[in-house]
Amino acid sequence: MEKNCFKSKIWISVVALLVAMPIFVVAFSWALPEHELWAHFSENILSDLISSTLILLLGVGVGVTLLGTVLAYLVVMVEFPGRKWLEWALFLPFAIPAYVLAFVYLGVFDYSGYAQVWMRETLGIPGFDIRAGSWAIILTFVLVFYPYVYMMTRASFKRQKINMIEAGRLLGVSPIRVFFKVSLPLARPAAAAGLLVTLMETLADFGVVSLFNYDTFTTAIYSAWGDFRSIEVAAQLASLLVLMAFFLIYFEKKARGQAKYYSANVANKKPYHATGVKGWLISLFVFGVFMLSFAMPMLQLVVWGYSSVADEWSAKYIDLIASTSILTITAALITVALATILALPRRCKQTSIWLKSVIRLATLGYALPGSVMAVGLLYGINQISIINIHFGGESINHIIYGSIALLLFAYVSRFMAIAYSSIEASAQQIKPVFTQSARLLGASRMRLIWQVYLPMMTPGILAGGLLVAVDVMKELPATYLLRPFGWDTLAIQTYELSAEGLFERAAIPALIMVVFGALLMSVFQVLDKKSSRST
Amino acid sequence: MLSVNNLSVNFGEQEVLSNFNLDLKQGEIFALLGKSGSGKSTALRFIAGLEQANNGSVEIDGVQLSVDGEHSVQPELREIGMVFQDYALFPHMNIEKNISFGINHLSKSAQRKQVLELLAMIGLEGSEDKYPHQLSGGEQQRVSLARALAPEPKILLMDEPFSSLDKSHKDHLVLQVRQILKKTNTTSILVTHDKDEANSLADKVGIIQNKQLTIN
Repeated sequence: MEKNCFKSKIWISVVALLVAMPIFVVAFSWALPEHELWAHFSENILSDLISSTLILLLGVGVGVTLLGTVLAYLVVMVEFPGRKWLEWALFLPFAIPAYVLAFVYLGVFDYSGYAQVWMRETLGIPGFDIRAGSWAIILTFVLVFYPYVYMMTRASFKRQKINMIEAGRLLGVSPIRVFFKVSLPLARPAAAAGLLVTLMETLADFGVVSLFNYDTFTTAIYSAWGDFRSIEVAAQLASLLVLMAFFLIYFEKKARGQAKYYSANVANKKPYHATGVKGWLISLFVFGVFMLSFAMPMLQLVVWGYSSVADEWSAKYIDLIASTSILTITAALITVALATILALPRRCKQTSIWLKSVIRLATLGYALPGSVMAVGLLYGINQISIINIHFGGESINHIIYGSIALLLFAYVSRFMAIAYSSIEASAQQIKPVFTQSARLLGASRMRLIWQVYLPMMTPGILAGGLLVAVDVMKELPATYLLRPFGWDTLAIQTYELSAEGLFERAAIPALIMVVFGALLMSVFQVLDKKSSRST
Repeated sequence: MLSVNNLSVNFGEQEVLSNFNLDLKQGEIFALLGKSGSGKSTALRFIAGLEQANNGSVEIDGVQLSVDGEHSVQPELREIGMVFQDYALFPHMNIEKNISFGINHLSKSAQRKQVLELLAMIGLEGSEDKYPHQLSGGEQQRVSLARALAPEPKILLMDEPFSSLDKSHKDHLVLQVRQILKKTNTTSILVTHDKDEANSLADKVGIIQNKQLTIN
């Protein structure tokens, strides 16, 4: 038994520490700090950065929690016209990368966008700067990220026993009170989990904030590195970001408290039926969110794409699609394989604080912007080369820079948390008795893993792989910095065109990405339905 | 053939079972009664090698499996079968695969033959291609028994195997299980809190009271 634990520890530690390496590199930056430039940053920029980042987090947090929870409650608990397809359609914004939505909104609502032109000329409303203040960017983030909270709370509402709500109703309590007193408190852990993911995504975002010219830690890191050529300051700023992520995780744990998810008995019966005007008003609201977050931007993309396809489409798109696919598939496979090693049921995991901590570390990459991941890796490789040369060896820079290995490393570190949480959830369902009975029947550890654990974890592994694939495909900042020559992706093409204001042409690569993303998401939906039916 | 000596179990600081001694002959069925928290399940799981104890040794056919509360032979190698309270059938395998899980060292045809024999014995002929969730609780329990018996274990352990069944099914199943165990001449230990169940299944009944085992 002791020996077994030792092996587990070796396996998990090697994988986890490797995946978490960029975080260590970033933290290591304080060992060789850059004082002068850091002083400049901390005196002039830091307080503004912190306040603008906090305003953004607060606004987005409140927004996604409200919108996501209300939408989830409506589609799960209330029957209203169009509910069935809207329940599914509300997931679709997942397929649109945040920066694509941002450039569509900018293209339409910017000073020179046709919405504002129309308002000025027809309604006589004076023009305004959509980039001023933070309301527009907050709204954009809320519309892109509400599906996280929606997804988590929806699952949680579905697990709530319908008779609990019926009991509330029979006691004469109004639907609104049942929502606040029964459903919402039970869904709180799920909402907190969704909120955590959203806030981390917001912290890590580079595309949206740079298109909106909004200063956050991420843009500051870029500026430290891009403008001042200081990897050290970039890494120092990044370590503050890691600190923020730790705080977020801590608060999520607190918000979750002792609450546990409630178990099954999934009923398709809806406790409430909204008919007549009420029903249509609810429909209109949910449909409105769907329109704003998916249908209208998509329509706009199609219109733009149609008008520019003749100019923009060329053979280079075959290359773009090929390199995007290769990177996406390879990264998803590696991430899932490593996440599975971390998530396999092991007795030692319950008791070992060490294992819990290294796994936590390995899944922290989600809070790190891709750019930091990239900076961390470059910095780390550089240090290794320096040490190597010092001992008479050769620089390893040339081997690494010319290959996609570093980029894949960044993807794996960055998206480990997504794969892990999905796979871990399915591993959690493997009760200890399965292990025990397999062992008593004489199964070796290998046989246990291949014939019992892996088949039972398959739904989680597939779902995790799909989610990682969607994220890798649209990943921007790390790809931007680490891609070797000739490895441009659809995301890069989209960003470069839209950063120059060429929205119509940017619509082409964006559309291709959205179509692929939607395909992957619908496979995920099918799997999700299947697995919820079989349990 | 089985002898357990000087077993003692603690829950945290508190000792709940001390100086537990048990000797069983080949084919004997023993039932262990006790309230929840009396350490009876832990005693069973100690014999299986799944849990450690403060003290105690286990010997089967003269081979030392555990000494001083530590296991010298791992559960995989003990040739002990176990039936769990919630059956623990593998949900992704059909009944045939479940039953043959422990006899994969045999040839395919020998596995098949044994599965069919066992299915006939538990009265579930023709169910080999079904999946566990397609069976009732009592049927799952019988499959779980067949799976545990397939490798012809030296000892069969049953941890509250009937507790999630309703009364009418239970009485019938208990008798059926006794017949099967007698037919296969399997030495068995049943852990339960139900006196009637213990009396109708076992040859010998022991009860844990005040940390001590008394056998009547």
